[in-house]
Parts: sequence; structure tokens; C-alpha cells
Amino acid sequence: MGLLSIIRKIKRKEKEMRILMVGLDNSGKTTIVLKINGEDTSVISPTLGFNIKTIKYHKYSLNIWDVGGQKTIRSYWRNYFEQTDGLVWVVDSSDIRRLDDCRAELHNLLKEERLAGASLLVFANKQDIQGALKPAEIAKVLNLEVMNSSRHWKIVGCSAYTGEGLLEGFDWLVQDVASRIYVLD
Amino acid sequence: MEPEPDQPKVAAGGGHRKHLAMLERLSKRSSSSAGAPPSDSSDASPVEAFLSRFAGAKLAAESALSACRSDDATASLAAAAAAIDNIDRLIAEASHALPPYELRAALATAADLRAAHRVAASELRPKKSFSFRNKSRNLKNPPQDHVTASPPQQPPPEQPKPSLDAILPGFGFRGKNGATFVKDLRVSNDKDGDFTLADLVSCEVYLKGKCRALYIHKLRDCRVFVGAVLGSVLIEDVQGCIFVMAAHQIRIHEARVTDFYLRVRSRPIIEDCSGVRFAPYVLNYEGIEEDLKDSGLQEETGNWANVDDFKWLKAMQSPNWCLVPEEERLQTVNISEFHEQEDDS
Ligand SMILES: Nc1nc2c(ncn2[C@@H]2O[C@H](COP(=O)(O)OP(=O)(O)OP(=O)(O)O)[C@@H](O)[C@H]2O)c(=O)[nH]1
Ligand SMILES: [Mg+2]
Repeated sequence: MGLLSIIRKIKRKEKEMRILMVGLDNSGKTTIVLKINGEDTSVISPTLGFNIKTIKYHKYSLNIWDVGGQKTIRSYWRNYFEQTDGLVWVVDSSDIRRLDDCRAELHNLLKEERLAGASLLVFANKQDIQGALKPAEIAKVLNLEVMNSSRHWKIVGCSAYTGEGLLEGFDWLVQDVASRIYVLD
Repeated sequence: MEPEPDQPKVAAGGGHRKHLAMLERLSKRSSSSAGAPPSDSSDASPVEAFLSRFAGAKLAAESALSACRSDDATASLAAAAAAIDNIDRLIAEASHALPPYELRAALATAADLRAAHRVAASELRPKKSFSFRNKSRNLKNPPQDHVTASPPQQPPPEQPKPSLDAILPGFGFRGKNGATFVKDLRVSNDKDGDFTLADLVSCEVYLKGKCRALYIHKLRDCRVFVGAVLGSVLIEDVQGCIFVMAAHQIRIHEARVTDFYLRVRSRPIIEDCSGVRFAPYVLNYEGIEEDLKDSGLQEETGNWANVDDFKWLKAMQSPNWCLVPEEERLQTVNISEFHEQEDDS
């Protein structure tokens, strides 16, 4: 049946983790993935469909699924939920007008049973922009504390433009996932 | 580590056909799993039942739309909107049971009808002072906003409703009618900031210099000229406007009858748009070369013409956009002589 079953087979063989990146369009998902992989970020088109990257991160191999967030294709997000170990929700911290949308889409996603076991990293991206909301403010607007008892989560301010905060975020996510699925190391 | 050889590595910006094939394949997975709503006729398959109900609903929408040219256009518009809502509901109910192709085709039809409805609605609107293409014939019946499912068409220019936006205003121009704004981002300290234009009617905006992000929301009959944007421009809900801008990314949503003169590094995208046209960037002012260069926008990539329509994922040209014919294009617009004033309103 293709892709997913192939991935499932390779998985666990060599400390793989499956990371799903979602968030509204324009939040910076693709820029974050390219930046963390040391690639050129100067020409990025809005994602029509998705990109997959396999990145070696410490002793783990991350399968990162970067899925387009334009309204028309959000309904496809659910096709990527299966087997997700870590969820990254990216927020454009300077797009204050759409934070309501952002909160609604996030909470919709978190209802999804297939994602119930996934750790959640929220990136408050574009912190390099003057006037961007701080991570604590984003956490409040997105009402993140409702998950305190139900899920491992963390919010980290970052800039895909400068690279600041990206490693801090991924370090936490990878550690948190590893402590759940590779307990015996 | 090397990428896994048997995984698709899809480069950003290319291979759309492949993306689509993949989407289709993946969406097949979910279509098998779901609980389909029971169909109302027991001998037809759910798909056939859907297709016949869909055809009926489509016919209803189309005939209401064609009636919009008659006397009681407002009522016909309302009927068309209701018929299209009904189509959306049918699709939503059947979406789990439908094979991907039928689903996409149905969604594309709904989007087309929606677009046709918007065009019909905009043809009914009263002419404004900055109307560039005088499509409006019927000025007698001002349209009523509540007939459509889309957001209200007439922005409240004096009193924008309190929102996060009003509580936390960043830099920008908001809520004005008939004003001219000039802003030089080079003299103020805002070059690392974002900028917002929202709820403007019949305004002219001249933005010199650079910013990191530009957000544009709810503009009617405006002309907007922008220097260099280091990141993206996000445009939502505009009508009857002209935009001249340079940016790394340009994302356009819900634009109707609007011209875009662009320089852009990646492919501009549109979603839920109709009647939008594209042409190359034509802005000039003293120092613009430097602003463009600093922002990595000195090079004409030709991408202004490579528009992706998220509502038209087919090989054929989208009906929602086209190029501005050369003889109609704006000449270079030089705004060197425009300077910031205290208050323009
Ligand atoms: N200033 C600034 N701009 C950023 C940052 N991250 C991304 N951008 C810009 O934001 C725009 C959108 O970035 P993308 O990476 O394409 O966003 P995306 O989330 O992948 O969008 P979709 O593919 O449509 O879902 C681009 O123009 C980026 O240059 C950041 O940290 N700071
Ligand atoms: Mg992307």
C-alpha cells in the first residue's frame, strides 16, 4: 500500500521518529525545516501538498513531514496523522489577526485520537519581527494550559530567519519522544 | 544521514503533479475507513446516490445564478448562495464515502459556483470612485451582505469592531475611507517590523523602504504601492484594488477583480479568488534599487506570471486569474515626490 507501510517497516529499526509539522499557511513550517537542515531558505514557495525530510539529529533519525497549511488543503492533514511521535505546531507570532483561526485549528487537531500520544511542540515563530507576540502571550491566546494534564507540550519562541530557538525546540521534542518510545536506552 | 532512497523527496517549489498524485493516493486510505452516511435510496450505491443529488443541487445553483441577470437579482443571488451552501453540505456529508476523484471534482465544481456567485454579487455592487474596470451595470439594487456565506462585503470604515487587532495595534493604516497615506519605513525605525493595512476604502497607500512582513485585510477600491518585503505578503478579502509590490512570497486569498503588479522570488499563490490579473512590478522612487537589493529582490525572476491557484489544481489554466494585457498595464509609477505627512484623514 505504499508509503506509510514502508515507513512503518523501517521505523524502529534505527531509532526513527516521525514528526508532523502543521500550522496555518504562512507560519514558517517549510522555512524552519530547511533552516534546521542547513539548506538555502531564500526561495520558498507556499507548500502545495507536503515535503518529507529525513534528518539525522543526535543519535536519532527524524522523519519530518511538512504539510501545507493553506485553507484548501488543511482537510488533508488527517492523512498524515498515523504513527506520529511528535507534533510541531507553528505559529506566525506577528499575524495577530488570525490567532483565533490558529487556536481553532489547533484544538481541532488535538481532538484527533490518532495524535493522542504525540508530544506537542508549539513554535512561536517570527520572533525577529518587532511587534511579534511573545511565547507566553501566544500560549495564553491559544489556551494551551488546557492540555496540562493530558499531553506533554512546550512552547518555544523562535525565528526561522535567524535560527534562534529552533534547536531548543527540537531538543526538547526529541528528548520527550525518546523518553517515551526508547525507554530502554 | 542520507535520505531514505525509497521515500519520496519532493523539492519545495516543484513537482506539483507528483504532490497531487501523492495526495490522491493518501486520501484513498482514509476514504476506505470511514463511516459513510446512509444513502436515501437503498438500491443505489452511496456514490451514485451522491452524484444524482449533487447533479440536482448543481442545476439549482446554476439556474439561480443565471437568474441573477434578471430583475430580482438580489433574491436570485440569495437563492444561489443557499443552493451552493447545500452543495457544500452534500459534499461534506458524502466526503468519507467518495473516491478521491469524485471528491475533487465535486469540490472543484463547488468552488467554481462560489466564484461565479462572487462575480455575480460584485457586478451588483455600486460603483466606487476607484473602479478601474466598469463592470457594474445594475446600480439600482445595492446587494445585501447577509445573502452570501462569505464575510460582509462592505467594511465598516469608521468603527472596526474590537478584535485582537484593535487591542494590539502594530504599525499600519486601518479603518479609513478616501485617505492618502505615505510612509517611509527608512526614516522611522520600523524596518524590522511588520506592517498592516486593514479596513480601507478608496484609499491610496505609498510605502517606501523595507519591512519584514506585510498583512493586508479587507480593502475596497484602493491603490497600494509597496517597496520591498523581506518575507511574505498575506492578502485577504480585497476587491477592486491595484497592488504594486515586491516580496519573497505573495499569498492572496479572497481577492476579486484586482490587479497585482509583482516582483516575487517564489510563485505567487491565490486561493478563493476570481477576476484577478497579474503584471510585472512597476514601482520607482529614489533609493528603491538599494531597498530591493538589500532584500534580495533586485532580480526579476519572472515569477509574477507563475501563479498557483489552490482552488484549481489541474493542468489547464485556472479561470480565476490571467495576465494584464500589455496595452492595459500601468506605466512605471514614480513616487519620489510623495512624502510623509502628519495626518492625512
Ligand atoms: N521575518 C521572518 N519571516 C519568516 C520567518 N519564518 C518564515 N518567514 C517567512 O514567512 C513566509 C512563509 O514561510 P513558509 O515557510 O513558506 O510558511 P509555511 O508555514 O511553510 O506555509 P505553507 O506551506 O503555506 O503552509 C516566508 O516568506 C518566510 O520567509 C521568521 O522567523 N521570521
Ligand atoms: Mg510550507
